[in-house]
Amino acid sequence: MSDEERPDGAAQEEPAPDAPALSFSRALGTLAAGFLVPGLGHMLLGRIGRGVAFLLLVLAAVATGVSLEGNLYRVLPGQPLTLLATLGSMGMGLPYFVLRWAAGYQGDVTAAGYEYGTAFLLTGGLMNLLLLLDVWDISRGRKG
Amino acid sequence: MPVDHFLLMVLYAFLVSVFFALLWRRDRKAQAKLFLQIFLGMTLGALALAWLMFPFPGGPPAPIP
Repeated sequence: MSDEERPDGAAQEEPAPDAPALSFSRALGTLAAGFLVPGLGHMLLGRIGRGVAFLLLVLAAVATGVSLEGNLYRVLPGQPLTLLATLGSMGMGLPYFVLRWAAGYQGDVTAAGYEYGTAFLLTGGLMNLLLLLDVWDISRGRKG
Repeated sequence: MPVDHFLLMVLYAFLVSVFFALLWRRDRKAQAKLFLQIFLGMTLGALALAWLMFPFPGGPPAPIP
């Protein structure tokens, strides 16, 4: 019997110090909240400062992209790569859906900052997707 | 919004650098170090690449549709 096992034979699981391991369903809920509002997942896990900073960063990227009239990707028939770009952009959560359906935002291909704006918008979505991975690791106790 | 290529590049590098510094590091000193590494790497790297590409001709301008 190794030192990793308890006397009753069950493997001993030691979460990382100060890392609250949530149940699977609660972790999923935190993940969903973090998807909808960037940074909210971190805030719900007690990382208020980091959560606010992430929220501001993602919103700054999105706001810059919109002000430059960049493309907010959507799936175009016959162009399969737009599916990936759309999924990446959707990563920003609520801002994507608000811009797309509530504000009717499309971007302007003739705008001088169109390409830059597209990069900012896509980056905002990808940032939040990376945040979701971080939220998941923290909520499952894999990261402190 | 005015389009200044260099300023937009710097703004982009700034946002990305702050993001990854906060995401990957916890200690303030380590965050500042990573921020500087990414920010300077992106801005100076882009300038160096642009300088290296300077001798190469760009070819004729694309036709306006």
